Parts: sequence; C-alpha cells; structure tokens
Amino acid sequence: METPNPAATPKEGQPSSSKAIIYVCGECRQDNEMRPRDPIRCRECGYRIMYKKRTKRVVVFDGR
Amino acid sequence: MASLQFGKLSTCQYGDPPSEQNKVLQDLVKPHVESFNYFLEDGLSLAVQNIPPVRFALPNGERITLSYKDASIGYPSVAKGNVYAKEHKVYPAECRGRGCTYGAPLNVHIQWSSSSGQGDIQEKCLGNIPIMVKSSHCNLHQLKPSELIRRKEEAEEMGGYFIINGIEKVVRMLVVPRRNYPLALCRDKWKSRGKFYTKYGISMNCVSLDQSRSNLVLHYLDNSTAILSIIITKRIFFVPVMLIIKGLVDVNDQQIYKDFVRGREKDTFFVGCILGMLRDLQQLKVTNKRAALEYLGESFKVRLNLPEWCSNEEAGQYLFDRHICIHLKNNREKYECLVLMIRKLFSLVRGNCSEENPDSTMNHETLLPGHLYQSVLKEKMTGLLVKLRTMIEKTAKTGKEPDITGLMKKCLRSPLYVSRQMEYFLATGNLVSPTGLGLLQTAGFAVVADKLNFMRYLSHFRCLHRGSFFVEMRSTTARKLLPEAWGFLCPVHTPDGTPCGLLNHLTASCQVTTFQPKTDGLVQTLHSLGMVALDEPFITEEDCYEVVLDGRVIGILPKDGADIVVANLRVLKSKGEQGIPKTLEITLIPITGKTTQYPGLFLFTSPARLIRPVTNLMTGEDELVGTMEQVYLDIAVTPKEAIPEVTTHMEKSEDSILSVAASLTPFSDFNQSPRNMYQCQMGKQTMGTPSHVLPYRIDHKMYQLQTVQSPVVRPKSYDTVDMDNYPLGTNAIVAVISYTGYDMEDAMVLNKSSVERGFAHGQIYTTEIADLQQHRKGPYRNEIIYTFGCDPTDPRAKGKLDSDGLPPPGTILEPSDPLYGYIEISTGQKLFGKYKGSEKGIVSSVKVVGNDLGTEVSQKAYIQLKIQRNPSIGDKFSSRHGQKGVCSLKCPQPDMPFTESGMTPDIIFNPHGFPSRMTIGMMIESMAGKSACLHGLCHDATPFTFSEKNTAIEYFGKCLTEAGYNYYGTETMYSGTSGVELEAEIFIGVVYYQRLRHMVSDKFQQVRSTGPIDLLTHQPVKGRKRAGGIRFGEMERDSLLAHGTSFLLHDRLMNCSDKSLTRVCKKCGSLLGISLETPLADYSVSERMLGVDQRKWTCAICDTSKELEVIYVPYVFRYLVAELCAMNVKTVLKVK
Repeated sequence: METPNPAATPKEGQPSSSKAIIYVCGECRQDNEMRPRDPIRCRECGYRIMYKKRTKRVVVFDGR
Repeated sequence: MASLQFGKLSTCQYGDPPSEQNKVLQDLVKPHVESFNYFLEDGLSLAVQNIPPVRFALPNGERITLSYKDASIGYPSVAKGNVYAKEHKVYPAECRGRGCTYGAPLNVHIQWSSSSGQGDIQEKCLGNIPIMVKSSHCNLHQLKPSELIRRKEEAEEMGGYFIINGIEKVVRMLVVPRRNYPLALCRDKWKSRGKFYTKYGISMNCVSLDQSRSNLVLHYLDNSTAILSIIITKRIFFVPVMLIIKGLVDVNDQQIYKDFVRGREKDTFFVGCILGMLRDLQQLKVTNKRAALEYLGESFKVRLNLPEWCSNEEAGQYLFDRHICIHLKNNREKYECLVLMIRKLFSLVRGNCSEENPDSTMNHETLLPGHLYQSVLKEKMTGLLVKLRTMIEKTAKTGKEPDITGLMKKCLRSPLYVSRQMEYFLATGNLVSPTGLGLLQTAGFAVVADKLNFMRYLSHFRCLHRGSFFVEMRSTTARKLLPEAWGFLCPVHTPDGTPCGLLNHLTASCQVTTFQPKTDGLVQTLHSLGMVALDEPFITEEDCYEVVLDGRVIGILPKDGADIVVANLRVLKSKGEQGIPKTLEITLIPITGKTTQYPGLFLFTSPARLIRPVTNLMTGEDELVGTMEQVYLDIAVTPKEAIPEVTTHMEKSEDSILSVAASLTPFSDFNQSPRNMYQCQMGKQTMGTPSHVLPYRIDHKMYQLQTVQSPVVRPKSYDTVDMDNYPLGTNAIVAVISYTGYDMEDAMVLNKSSVERGFAHGQIYTTEIADLQQHRKGPYRNEIIYTFGCDPTDPRAKGKLDSDGLPPPGTILEPSDPLYGYIEISTGQKLFGKYKGSEKGIVSSVKVVGNDLGTEVSQKAYIQLKIQRNPSIGDKFSSRHGQKGVCSLKCPQPDMPFTESGMTPDIIFNPHGFPSRMTIGMMIESMAGKSACLHGLCHDATPFTFSEKNTAIEYFGKCLTEAGYNYYGTETMYSGTSGVELEAEIFIGVVYYQRLRHMVSDKFQQVRSTGPIDLLTHQPVKGRKRAGGIRFGEMERDSLLAHGTSFLLHDRLMNCSDKSLTRVCKKCGSLLGISLETPLADYSVSERMLGVDQRKWTCAICDTSKELEVIYVPYVFRYLVAELCAMNVKTVLKVK
C-alpha cells in the first residue's frame, strides 16, 4: 500500500499560485485548491467528484 | 355553508424531511426491489447450486469436474487500491455523477476435483455486478429521508433501478404465461409439426425454484397418442409421453393404467388411448423403468453435452432433472404432473373441457427484474465454467504444467468476469443467451428511467409489457382489454398507437408476489380439511377434484363439500392462520357438467403473480386475490350491488381499477374515456419538477417548470403519492370564450402580463460532457496526452474560461462559445472545445471527476447548463383532461376581456373544444377550482364520489353562490379592446394547466431555402439534425392545386428542390447522348478559369451540336432517365 502523496497536500502559509483554482468537494464541502495535473480527489475525504465555485466576476445579463 | 365538507391544502413541512418515507410510494416499486432482494437473499445461492458441474477429460485421461460451491454478493464500495477514501461505501449519487456503474463484487468459490482424487476450492471475484438501488445490498437500504438527503438522494427515493454508466435503467416487467399450470390450447400452427399432429395441446411453463424457465407442450396426435415436446438449447424435441412416464416410475402397466383412468373408467375413448399408448411401448420393447431411461439417455446424451463415460441411464435421469417438469423435485411428482397433463389433454380433445385463452390476464404472470437478472447471471456463470474448461484444456495441451494442481491453480488465477456481460445486458436490454431463457424476445428488457417528471418516472415502475413479439403480430387479440384484467391492469393508462393494449400499467393497488412461501402448513391443513393423498386407498364413485399446488398434484378432494373446504381455506388465508400464506391463490374450478375450464382445485403460492387486496365479507379483513382466483369469486363494487349469499368480497374503493397516473386525473368519471387516456400520456410529457437533486445529476435533458403550484382541485391519490413534492403545473384562470380569433382549432391565447409575471416559466438543464479521452486517438488511447487548462486572456477563450480551462458557474455561453480549454502536454498547444448547442445557456454547475482510485489527473468534466424556456408562441399546454392546445398569441393584458371585478384570465380557451371532446370533468374542475380559490381550500376530485342524485354541479354551484358568484360559474365580461359588455355570460374559473415539453424552439429552427442535399437525387435531405427540409407532400400539393395557386407548386417542387440545367437534343429527344467535347491538349487551366471555354456540346446520337436546347428539369428526372436506360427503355423528350 502506498501512502498519500505528500505533494498533494497544501503547505501552510505558502501563497497559492495564480494557476490554482478552488474546488469544493462533493462529499465534505471542503474547499480544495487544485493545480492543473493534480489528481481529482478531495484532500480531506478522498471523494472523487469536485465542484467548481460560482464566479465572482460580474456577469452582465441582458434582461430583454 | 356548514353542510359542505372541505379538504385542506396539504401542509408540508418544507425543508423538514419526514421521519419515515411514504409507504404507498415505496410499495409502488416493491415488485422491482423485492424481487431483487429475493435474488440477493435466496435466489443467487439456489441458482449457483443448480448450475450443472462441467465434467471433461484431460489429454492424459484424467477426468475433471468443475463446479461452483457457493456465491455471495458484497456491497458497493470503493476500489481496493484506493487509499485516499475516508468513506469506503459508494453511494448511487456518486455513480450518477461520475457516469459509472453502481455495482457490488460477486465472489464465488469454484470447486474442482479430478478422478485421481485431487481437488481444491478456490475463491474468485467475478467482478462488480450491477446492484439495484435500494435493494438490501444497496448502501441506501432502509435509510431515513434525512439520511437520504445527506447522500444526495431524493427524500422519497424509491430505488428499483440500476445505474449503468451513470444512466438509470429499469428492467421492464414482462407478461409471461402463468407458471406451473397446464394450459389447454388449440393452435392451428401445431398441425404442421408433423404427421398426425392436431391443433390440441397442453402447454406448461415450468419454472424451477431458481426461476429457470422451460416450456413443455403435450401434443395430441390423430393416432390417439400424445407426444411431449421439449426445448433443449433452443431446439425442439418430440418424445412419446408414455416413454417418459415409464422412465419416471418403476411400476407396472396395470398401476400406470389405474392412475390414468381414475374416475374415468367409463370413458372408453380415453381408456382405449391409454391402453394403446402402453401397448406401443411394449412394441418398442420398453417394459420397465431402466429400459426407458436407457432409451432416452442414448438418444439425448450428445445433445445434453454429457461426457462419454456417463451411462445412458444417468443421461436419462439428467434429462428428467433438467428438462422435464423442472418445477418438481422428484420423479414421482413429475409422473403425477404428466398424468394430470395427459388427462387434461384428452378431456380437451373430447370436448369435456374448453380451451383457455393464452392472452388472458388470468393465465399470466410477470417476469420480474430480480428473477430475470438471476436467470441471466446464472447463464453467464454457467458460460464461465465452460470458458474455464476450454482454458484448462488449452493449457493442458501445451503440456507446460504436468501437475494437475498446478495447472488448475494457474487457470483459476486468470481473470474471469461476468460484470461486463451483466452491464451490457442492462445497458442495452439485449439478451445474449444460448438457451433463450424460455422467453420469446431477446431485446428490449431494460429501458431508461426517464426523470422527466414524477408521473412518468413512477409509470416506468408500474408498466407491464406484453412482449415485443406481440408488437409485430398482426392480430389484435393480444391487445384486447379482457374482463379478467379488472382491478389488475388499468383500462385507461395505455398509450394509443403501436403499443396500445400491449404496454399496460398495473393498478395502484395491484401488487406482485416476489417470494415463495413455505407450503408445508398448507398441505397439512388441506389434509385435515378432507383432502385425500394420492397414495391413500380411496374408492368412490362420485367425481373428484384434483388438488394441484404450484403444478404439483398433492391429492384429491371429493366433489361434495369441496366448496366448504375452499371457504374454510379462504378464511384461514385472509387471517393468515395455520401457516397459510396470505398470498395464496385458491382457484376452485367447479364441475358443472358443462364445457368449462378443466375442473380442479388449483392453488398457487408461487412468486411473480399479480395480486390485489379486496375486502373479504366473511372475515371483514383484506384478502389478496389473484388473477385466476378472481374469475371464480363474486366481488361487488359497492355495498348496494352486493347480492346476499352470493357476494363474498367487495372492492376496497371504486377507483381501485385505476393506475397511479390515471387516478391523478380529476373528475375522470365525467370525461369521455379516450380523453382520460390522452391525459395519461400527456401527464407523462409535462414539464414539472424532475428531481430535487439536479446539481448532482448528469442527465442529458431535464425539463423544469419554474412556477409550479399544488392543484386546488385534486383527487385523493394526489396526496397519497405525495405529488406535492413534484408538482407539474399551475392553477390558471381560464375563460372559455371565443375572443381574438387566435384561439381557433385548439389554439389558446395566453395573457402576456401573466407570462411576464412568471406564468409557466421554465428551463431545461442539459449537461455537456468534456471528455479529454475522446480526443485521444490511435496508439495513444491509453495515455494521458491532454490536460484541462487554458490562458484566460486568450482571445479564443472570450474571457469565459478560467485558468483550469473550465467556465465557472454563472458564465453565459452563446452558441459556438468555448466550452472548455485543454492543452496537449507534449507540445503545449492550447485547444478549445466548443459549445455545440444552438441556444444561449448559463453554466449552473461544473464538476470534475476522478477515477475509482482517486489517482487520475482531470480528464472528464460535466458542465451543466441552464437554458431558459419561457412560454413562446407555439408552445404546447394542456389541462388535465386530454385538452391540449398550442399558444397562438400572447395577448397584452389591456386587450384581454375583463370581469366586473377587473380580473383578466391567464388563458383563453375556445368553447369549441368542448362539444366534440365532451370533457365535462374540465368544466367541473373549472367551477371547483374557482370555488376552492374563493373559499381558500382545496376540493376533492376523486372520481365516483358524485352521483346522479348528488351531482357535482349542485355541490360546486352552491359553493360558488356561497362566495357570491354565479351558480354556474359564469360572469359578465367586457371586451378588452372596446370596453363593451359582452352579450354572453362567460364561463370563467380556475383550471390546473400543464406545460408540455414539446416546444417550438426544439422543432422549428428548420427553415431553409438552401442547404444540404441528397447526393443521388439532389433533393433536400430530411431531418432537423442535418438541417434538412420539411417535406412538401402530396396533401400539401393538393391544397395548393385546390387554391388555384399551381405556380407556387413550381416554386416548391422545382426551384426550392432539385432544379437543374441540362441540354436536350431536339432531333432525337435524348438527354443522355449529349456530351462535352474533350479539351484540346494545349488547353490550359487558366483559360478555363477565364471563361473562354469554347468547347462544344454535341449529341453523339445525331452527331450534331446545332439542335441542342437548354432546359430546366428536376435532377431526379435525369436520374430516372438514366435508370430507365439501364433497363432498355428509351426516353424521348419532345422539345419545340
């Protein structure tokens, strides 16, 4: 049995790279910062479905 | 108005789930879930025990026997190699969300032994086989609503389906012949089976304890003998039945003769036939059991795939065990059963008993999902042993493993799976089987459980299909609604068109037995009640009934007093005393002296029968009656029509003949019956509330109505099935008036302001799949060569994608916008996947999914989009009475007619919709709805509550007057355009309206003047998907001719179709002889491009280029001329 990959766990205090995107775990609701080529799983519970967070950008909706 | 009783609007504790699930709803899918539970608990081990051992010899002469010892199924859990997962249980929501299969491991013990005395048992996992949701091995089993919600399920999740690649699949219930009952049939087709064959036969569908089916037919031959036909691996064999009889028991001919003619000694024909058949055996020199077995064994040994060293006698016994009356355990019982069949056959031939209807519900049972699944799995596991055998033989031939133990170990280590095959079966519904499982069809066993709305979803679990074999049959006998189906199949809920009468639905109260109860207590009770066992000496002159329990003859009962025995038995049954199962079916077919069904006392405890509760008037308790039993019972519908001393049972309610969907139609007893059938169809196509867990699902299309309401007029069953959790319509103010002219021919006018306020607003949720695996091709298929990602500043991303290559929820996507971005790892090339939809969508959720092990880099994402679909002209609406209409105008509110109080209707309904449709229920609903709104309550609309004396009009009229309105629900109205009072009083009220899913925007983007054409004919192609045209057909042509606008035809049929320019020779009239001069050698391309083409067209036939004329013809005409030419027909055009 292999141990969890230490590289996957985020290091405290380290500024997140601009490429990282925050996903929410579908099981435990934990925020997960993920970089491209990270395996898809929650760091907290190992769940395999991650949801993307809603955009904070202003979405202009033409209400006609 | 104190005398009137009002119902209350349901008070739901929204946001506060109930402590228990709704039992009624759970019971509706019980046949599915319980039959699967049966498979998990008893069926699997029974099936495994019944798998015949595979016996074969190795090249060195060693004989090997391979068999399964036992099998067990685990629970759905994460893959063994996954070290990250905290929760090891896998729940259905994950499988739906990730698009994988919800399955549990199947573990078996394979035993092998060799003739040299070696042997071992080895455990093996045959892969994850699909598990039914909410069955006893599902992780949702017995979870409370609050826990279900935590597991991302509906609070009232019912299960009953499988999840295959993220898609919910239901195994349809099928109609199959009633098991273990000898059915008397006359089929003209049987005459062609051979010399002497007649149309008479007794057919019996034998079903063993492990749910394997085999069909036996006993034929009557004109030479006064009977022949049994047996089907072995899809091939049919005919055996003289007396040969089998002889092989089954070791008694002399005298005893056999006695058993046959018991009570029929005076029937000289029958006696003669039996004697004749016994004499035939003597001629064959088959005088005892051994000889018969030898004879049969020798003939069948090869077909039965038995090894060489198996003796003929053994082979004969094997034939009996596997193919003759497989529902019975020992030879004696099989013998008694065959005797019964022969007696019934000769009774049929003599006309003493009548033929039975194989299309009648009375002679039917259902093929339940669990039972089918079990049979399929059994067969796949049998196939696996054969596969293992070939593997062992192959390895043995190489001679690398001289030691048997080593050889077996090596072979058993290799991967063996049945999971793929089971997944295939459920995903496609196709049955790949060497035996055919005794069924008539090989496809269409599984369907997708559409979650369009709750009504449709529920109907999937209640439908009962007659079998696809009957769909193609030209005769309509199988489609007829027979009185035997009363209370079991809904007469209203069947589609019209091809599947009419073949796709039925169970009534709301109908149940299906799923378990085989113990029958020891029953047999004892019968003995104590006066039944005489077959081996007891019993001499009587009078007629007797044979007592048959699940196809096993257990005794005889004297004619006198038989009805008392049955009555006693029935009391014990309804009380469930003395070990008598409540699901027992007691059918006493009386001896009347007339030609009826073959008399006898037929008892059934078997699973898969339809049963329904009625009240037993003797005990006052509920009794479950079966389909065959019901025919011989006297059941009253209302207390009024009960006849003293005759009526024994009473219906529980008058609407117990209706299915769930049909019972949701309010006041359906007031409507013309086809309208109720239409409503059952339309209710299933309504936009409503598909699911409460939309963000966790990846369905291709989900239609949701934004502003759903609970109907103010509704039948009782609306509340019993908790439809308020999934409402599918809106209460609308409907004025019945012919107003704008836009409401002709089933069109309806919507109030524009109502629509703007949110009336019937809705949306579609679609899920787009971004799968990078799809982009991998050729040798790189198993490697990861792409990853999600993009540069958000890239102009191609249009600012809609994040750096992970996916759009965040909330992004608005226009057609051909980038949906996702991905990067080729090796080159760093940035690529984009496009949004292929044709409508604007808003991203509502984005999820990225990993693999089972949690190790995979993101390769797949599901992007759920919301597409707004607010009512537009051309959208379809319907009331709950089969009254559909298309919105033809969104009328501005100022132009709508208004009442004295200033109210304008939401919908204008044309009064011409009523006279021909006769949907009085809709008018009553309108009045009831109006009064319900005025009084602030909700009215009961259960059918059969009002009568001639207590009319609905009276009741609701009074309610309306009480509120200060007109008794008949009419009001004075004023024209919205002129303000003038309308002369007629307008009928205006509140009707619950449904919005159907058929919307113009899905249908008519299909406008074209140019577009793709067919290669051969140059005519426009068809189909919306291919941007094709809409056929301007013959009827349309007739219409233009009638209008005298024939030149328009020229435009439609020529200019907009396959107009082409061609040359014709005036001299010979040919189209085909004309060709273009071959270019000269120095002719350059640039010259051609400049249009200085000076080449001549010539007619090769006349050798002239002067007589040519340019004409326009349809391109297909040229094709026709060429085709005719190929058939030696010359076409001449007379050109002036």
